[in-house]
Amino acid sequence: MADKRINIAWMYPDTLYLHGERGNLMALVRYAMELGLAPHVSRVDLGTKDFDPMQYDILFFGPGEISSFKSVMADIGGYKRSIAEYISSGRILIATGTTMSMFGEKITRFSPDADDGIGEVIEGLCVIPAESFEREYVFGDDLDIRAEYGGYSMELIGNQIQMADIRFAESAQYNRFGSVIYGRGNNGEDSMEGIVHGNSIFTNMLGPILVGNPWLTLRIVRAAAENKGISIEAEDPAYELEVRSFALKKEFIESKKKQQSQKK
Amino acid sequence: MKLKFLRALIKGKLGNAAISIIDKNRGTNWAGEHAMLIDPDFLSHFKGIDPEKVLFITGTNGKSTVNSLINHILRSKGFKIVSNVEGANLDAGVATALIKGSSLSGNLDADFYIFETDERYLYKIREQLPCANLLVTNLQKDQVQRNGDPDFIYRKISRVIDAFGMRLFLNGDEPRSCSLADRSDKTVFFGVNRHSKAFCKDDTFVTMPCPKCSSRIRIDFFNNDGMGGFECENCGFTNNNGREKADYIVDSVSFDEKKLSINDVPFPMPYDLPYMLYNYAAAAAVCKELAGVSEEESAAALETFKLIGGRIDSIDYRGQNIKYMRFKQENPETLQNFINMIASDPEEKVVVIGFGTINDFDPHYINSFYAFDCDFTGLIESNVKKYIFVTDAIAYDAAISFIYGGVDPAKVEVLPTSNEEEILKAITSSGCDNVYLTIELHRFEHMKEFARKEK
Repeated sequence: MADKRINIAWMYPDTLYLHGERGNLMALVRYAMELGLAPHVSRVDLGTKDFDPMQYDILFFGPGEISSFKSVMADIGGYKRSIAEYISSGRILIATGTTMSMFGEKITRFSPDADDGIGEVIEGLCVIPAESFEREYVFGDDLDIRAEYGGYSMELIGNQIQMADIRFAESAQYNRFGSVIYGRGNNGEDSMEGIVHGNSIFTNMLGPILVGNPWLTLRIVRAAAENKGISIEAEDPAYELEVRSFALKKEFIESKKKQQSQKK
Repeated sequence: MKLKFLRALIKGKLGNAAISIIDKNRGTNWAGEHAMLIDPDFLSHFKGIDPEKVLFITGTNGKSTVNSLINHILRSKGFKIVSNVEGANLDAGVATALIKGSSLSGNLDADFYIFETDERYLYKIREQLPCANLLVTNLQKDQVQRNGDPDFIYRKISRVIDAFGMRLFLNGDEPRSCSLADRSDKTVFFGVNRHSKAFCKDDTFVTMPCPKCSSRIRIDFFNNDGMGGFECENCGFTNNNGREKADYIVDSVSFDEKKLSINDVPFPMPYDLPYMLYNYAAAAAVCKELAGVSEEESAAALETFKLIGGRIDSIDYRGQNIKYMRFKQENPETLQNFINMIASDPEEKVVVIGFGTINDFDPHYINSFYAFDCDFTGLIESNVKKYIFVTDAIAYDAAISFIYGGVDPAKVEVLPTSNEEEILKAITSSGCDNVYLTIELHRFEHMKEFARKEK
């Protein structure tokens, strides 16, 4: 199985540790195995020596607290160039929730003690053309989007626990990840959600999205295999429970939309 | 100002009197809410309160229970207490308690003022009501729709401590609350030695970032989910902020005999669940430090302690004993407690799981992702005959998270309904007398009522 091996790095799991995203690693492993691959997950922690992004096929960054970002960026900053090369080469980096902000240009923190609410400004990794603004209050809701990934169009449902709104600058290199069907998305104004560069995804959507949306997970795993020149003969596996779950969630969201429009 | 306060106070007192005639179970907020509409600075105008005798209890889990324990112990020693022990923990709840405890002119003469306070309202309450003591039970992932992440709450509590300075009663075994010790020169730690129900999680689970340096916290054992023996692998931050041991420590526990000891003093254990150990230690610490009540006196008081509105109940239905345990949604710790409680029963059993949509405020939403922080290993090994997942929008999501956790899909039944009759029917047809159930409280109450009528 050595030639079928897919290396997955779980980036800073105990620091970027929120919202049950361990499930996403489990989903990557599950579907990679069902496609006949040999997934291998490694933890990369603060202080891990000799981390080389190019040794991996998927880098997964879950959501973390903004207060941790400086430490993470100090650690990963040394690999900034190689991460940019990694993304440009078509390999897969996934950053979910507020952690997406870390890859942008700057994050402006909220300060309850400042008259204008503006607190510290943190320089980001400048991997994506984005600027984030920490919110005074949390915004939490379901998020339903129409996403484009790897040439496929698909509907995804997940959650959004928005600690910072994000704004993207126009860039030819990057495409939006999704358009919002229901929810807040980047900032509640542009009806857009996240960004895609090559096969890498930066999204506000969080929680075990790869568990609940296996059609995306399979595309990611197939892209990782293709990058490595591994051919997959297996058909996509069945995911009946997930389809039923998705239908119930969609029904719930539709009923919310109806109620909200009635209130208006 | 004075007139406005008196108007507010009188309206509050009249409201309290009316509510106590109509329904004594209601009205923990009403008087305070209406008084604060008249006088937004209402809390600051009461007289006779010595800040040294005031304690705020905040944190993720255990606030109400610790408040009840402290009230019970201090009242048993004859102290007069003003408290929001009914559980309304926003500013209006505190105001209602002060209205009840004060004279018509707003004077108070209680020995102690013990208030459970919501973490997000702590600053607002403290701005108006002087308080020299703060107890933090623990700070964990919880109610993410409004609390976001634990650091969001940590910063709110830190701001209060930094602005007002307080003596802190801290859980020395829970890293976040423990680290607050750096913000005060007066800290009392409570904790629990490793006990027989302590458990470990492998490194497929996440721990948490160090509150001091963001590096990985290694948790060597969990006395309760989120708390136990810990150390930061980078800066060395460890239990009790480096002190050798907690000031008030549960040093031995016998779950079989329902006994424990705190600082070598024998205590009864009215509720023998692991998470209660921290609550006992916290209450003993406060009663000794604040009121001079010895550990022996606290232990004697606990002989008669009864928790009102606890998380455990049961239904007897057609020969089946359905054991109910409520857990807080969006809160992995209480879900893990529920799982561990079931896992400690080796008999064959059916487990019924009903996650609900999160309906705290608009927008309502779906969240079951906290289940991925829980370890199902003990449950899987504990002779479960069948798992039934119920409730409308989340039944499949919950089932999927348990299957990812290792539960055998062949043992899973998904029943996407909240209809009590259908759920009870499914339980009855499971052919097992030993049933564990978790579901939202109001649904459980409907089920209980339905079962009562069926008898």
